[in-house]
Amino acid sequence: MDTYVILRRSGWRSPEELGEAAARSTAEGERMEDDIRWIRSYVLEEGARVGTVCIYQASSPEAIRAHAAAADLPVDEIIRVVDTVLVRPDPAPAPTAAAAS
Amino acid sequence: MVELLERGELLAQLDATRAEGGRLVFVGGEAGVGKTALVHAFAAASGTPVLRGACENLTTPTPFGPFLDLGLDLGDEARQVAAAVLDELRRTPLLILEDVHWADGATLDALRVLGRRLDATDALVLATYRDDEVEGDHPLRLVFGELATTRAVRRLSVPRLSLDAVRELAEPHDADGGAIHRLTRGNAFYVTEILAAGSESLPETVRDAVLARASRLDPAARRFLDVVSVVPARAELWLLENVAAAELDALDACLASGVLRADGDGVAFRHELARLAVESAVAPHRRRALHGEILAALAPRGDLSRLAHHAEEAGDAGAVLEYAPAAARRAAEASAHREAAAQYARAIRHADGLAAGERASLLAAYAEETHLIGSHAVSAEASLEALEHYRALGDTLRQGDLLARLPSTYISLGRNAEAEAASLEAIELLERLPAGAELTNAYCMQASLRMLNRDNADGVVWGRRALAAADRLDDEEGRSFALNMIGTSHLMAGEIDRGVEFLLRSLELGRAQDNEVRINSALGMLGSGLGEMYELEGAEIYLREQIAFGEPRELFVGYAQAWLACVHLYGGRWDEVAPLARAVVVSRHRISEITGLIALGRLRARRGDPGVHEALDQALELSLPGGHLQRLGHVRAARAEAAWLAGDREQAAEEARAVYPLALEKRHLWFAGELAYWQWRAGALDEAPDWIAEPYRLQLGGDTDAAAEAWRGRLCPYEAARTLADADDEAALPELERLGARPALTALRRRLGLRGPREATRDNPAGLTSRELEVLVLVAQGLRNADVAERLVLSPRTVDHHVSAILRKLKVRTRGEAAVAADELGVLQDR
Repeated sequence: MDTYVILRRSGWRSPEELGEAAARSTAEGERMEDDIRWIRSYVLEEGARVGTVCIYQASSPEAIRAHAAAADLPVDEIIRVVDTVLVRPDPAPAPTAAAAS
Repeated sequence: MVELLERGELLAQLDATRAEGGRLVFVGGEAGVGKTALVHAFAAASGTPVLRGACENLTTPTPFGPFLDLGLDLGDEARQVAAAVLDELRRTPLLILEDVHWADGATLDALRVLGRRLDATDALVLATYRDDEVEGDHPLRLVFGELATTRAVRRLSVPRLSLDAVRELAEPHDADGGAIHRLTRGNAFYVTEILAAGSESLPETVRDAVLARASRLDPAARRFLDVVSVVPARAELWLLENVAAAELDALDACLASGVLRADGDGVAFRHELARLAVESAVAPHRRRALHGEILAALAPRGDLSRLAHHAEEAGDAGAVLEYAPAAARRAAEASAHREAAAQYARAIRHADGLAAGERASLLAAYAEETHLIGSHAVSAEASLEALEHYRALGDTLRQGDLLARLPSTYISLGRNAEAEAASLEAIELLERLPAGAELTNAYCMQASLRMLNRDNADGVVWGRRALAAADRLDDEEGRSFALNMIGTSHLMAGEIDRGVEFLLRSLELGRAQDNEVRINSALGMLGSGLGEMYELEGAEIYLREQIAFGEPRELFVGYAQAWLACVHLYGGRWDEVAPLARAVVVSRHRISEITGLIALGRLRARRGDPGVHEALDQALELSLPGGHLQRLGHVRAARAEAAWLAGDREQAAEEARAVYPLALEKRHLWFAGELAYWQWRAGALDEAPDWIAEPYRLQLGGDTDAAAEAWRGRLCPYEAARTLADADDEAALPELERLGARPALTALRRRLGLRGPREATRDNPAGLTSRELEVLVLVAQGLRNADVAERLVLSPRTVDHHVSAILRKLKVRTRGEAAVAADELGVLQDR
C-alpha cells in the first residue's frame, strides 16, 4: 500500500456534518480494509465551511475514489506521499476537531 | 498435541464470516504455523458434518485432486466440478480444502467458479495455503487477483505463536520456553516437535526435531516410517500391506507416538514437513527401490499422476512413458494445462529411447500446452525440435500443421519476422499436399498476421482464400474462422458495416456448431474492434455479451474486460473503469494487461490522480516487443495525453510522433487522428491528411462545434468537452466538472480567468446532499435500511448515518414523516 494525502477543501458546512462524514468514512473503510486504511486527518477552518487534509494508505488511487464515493466524501486532489519526515508527533487535537478524529 | 492457543480471535472472525452468508476464506500462513489445527478446531466447534479435500505435494498433481476426495460425481470440466461441489454444499455447508498452494490448474479453475457463486449459498469453504510459497507468479496469486473484488471471498492470516504462548506450552515439559521461541520463532509445528522429541539440546532445524522424535521409535517402526514417507499425502493400508508387510505391526507404535495419524482408509504424517524430513533421510538407493515397489503395487488401479510420479522417482523410463503422457492428456482435458505441460516434460525427459515420430508428437503436444500456459519461449523451442523430427521423417502434413500454429507463439514473444516466415513456410508445404483443414487453418493464420499488422486489405485477401478453401471442403469451423478474419480486417479499415456483417456470420456459424472458441472469438473481435473504432455503443454490447458467454464457461474474457474498461472511460463512466482494469492488470495475459493499463493510466491522467506513469510506462514496455500499431498507437496516444495534461507540451508531441508514421502507413483512422491531434495541440503539426477520423478532422479544420457534436454523437462526453475547452469555450465547464476532470478543468478556468478551485456544490432542498436525496427516495419507497444498503452497495451503517441526517435536516422523527416531507419538497417527482 502507498500513502496518500487527500485534499477535501471546504467539503462541509459545519463540524457536525464533518462528524457525520467521519462516521460514514469509518463504516465504509471497514468494508475495504485490504484496500484502504485511514491514518489521520487535519480539519481545516475555511471561513464559514470546514475542510480536511487526510492521510490514507491505499492500494491505488481508485480505491480512495471508491471509498470516497461510497462514504459520500468530496475529493479535490489525491497526492502520493513518497517519504515522511517526522520531526515531532502530532500535537494533541484541539477540542473542536475531535469530531473528525 | 498442542492445544489451540491464541486462536480465539481468528475463530471468532470465522464465525462472523460464516454468519454473513456463502463465503470462501483463504487461510494463509507459513508451513507448520497451525492453519490445519485452526480450521479443524473451527469445524469441531461448529458440530456439523464437514467435507474435506487436500492437495498433494506432487510436482504434477492430479487434476481436481482435492475434489476427488469428496467422492462425488464430478464431471470433467471446472464448472461441472464447481456445480457438483456447490450442490453437495447445500447438504453439508462446510468444506475444508487443504494446501491449495499445491493445487493443480483445474482445481484453481473450479475454485474461481466457486468463489464467484458462493455468495448465493450459506456454505463456508476454508482453503488453507502457505503464504510464503505463493510469491511471484504463483498461479494461486492470480486467483487471488481475479477474486479480489468478489464479495464472497476473504483472506485470513494465521500468525506465529507469541512468546507467552510458547512458554505456556513448554511449562508442563519443564522446557525453556524463551529459548524455544527464539529458535522456532513461534512456529507451532516446530514447537510441538521439539517438545515431543524431549532431547537435551534443542534441535537446530525442524528436520532435526522431526528426526530426533522419529529416532526414539524401534527399528521396525523406523523402517515403516520410511515407506510411508515416500508416499505423498496419504498411504492407503492396502498399499502398505503390499509394500511393508513385515513392518505393518509397527503401525500402532507410529500412531501412538503421534508421528503418524490415521486418515480415512490409510495413514499420513501428522504434517507434510515431517514427511519431507523423514523422506530426506532415506538413503537414495532405498528410496528408489521403495518407489519401484509402490509403483508395482499401485499399477493395477492407481491414479495416473501418482503412477507417473513414482515411475520417475523409481527411475523406470518405460513406466514414465506409459503413465506420464496419459496423465498429461487427462490433465489437458480438464484444462489443467500447467500439469499437462509438466507431465509431457516428464515424459520427454525419459524419451531418449523413443522413435522419432513418437518423440515428435510428445514435443508437439508439449509445445501446445506450454503455449497455453504462456511459456512461449519453451513452446517455440519444443516446436522447433518437433519440426526437425517431422522434417527428417518427411511428414509434411504434420510439419506444415505445426508450422501454421507457431506464429501465435512467436507473436507472443515479439518475434514477428519468425512468425511471418513460419506462416509462409506452412502454406508452401501444405499447398503441395491435397487440400485439407490444415491448409485452411494456415491461410487463416496468415490472414490473422496481416490483420494484426493492420494490413487490412491483405487480411481480406488471405481471409477470402481461407474461406474458399473451407467452402471446397465444406469445413464449417474453417469457414467461421475465415469469416472472422475477413470481418475484422474490414472493421479495422473503418468499414464498420461490412466488418460487422462478416463477424456476425462467423458468430452465427459458431453458434450453429456450438463451437465455444469461435463464438468467443467472434464476440471478442466485434467488441474490441468496435472499441478501437470508437463505436462505443456496439462495442459495449458485444463485450458484455462475450463476458456473459465466456465467464460461466471458464473461457478467457480478460481482454473483453480490459476493452470494456476503455469503453467505460471513453464513454464517461469513469467509476466503472477501475474494477475491470485492475482485475486484468494482474492477469499476466500481455495484451489484456496492456489494454487495462492504458485504461487505468488515462483514467488517472484525466482525473489528475497519481500513478499515471507507472501504468503507462509498463504498458509501453509490454507493447514495444510486438511493435504492432494496435498496441503502440493506443499506448502512445495515452502517453501523449498524459504528458499534455501534466503540462509537458514537448513530451506530448514526441510521444505522438513516435508512432504517427506507422499510423499513417496503415491508414488507421483513429490512431492517425488522435496522434495528429496531440501534435497539433502541441504546435508541432502543419497538416494532417483528410482521411483521419471525423471528430479530429473537423477540429483540426477549425470547426470546433461540429467536432464536439461528432464526439457527442459517439457518446464520448470527455472528448466533446475537451474539444470545446481547446477553443476556450466555457460551455465545456459543466461536463468537465461532472466528470471530475481536474487537470482539464483547472487549465480551462485559468485561461478563462475564473477563480477556483471548487464552487460549493449546488445545495439541494433542505440542505440534503445528493447521496442523502438518493437514500430518501428509496426510504420513501418503503425500503428498509438494509435494502437501501444492498441497492446502493453501501455498508448498512453508512445508510443508518444517512437516514439520521435526513431526519434531522427534514426536522422529522419517523421514516413515514420523512416520506411525506420528501413528497412536499417535490424531490420524488424529479427522480
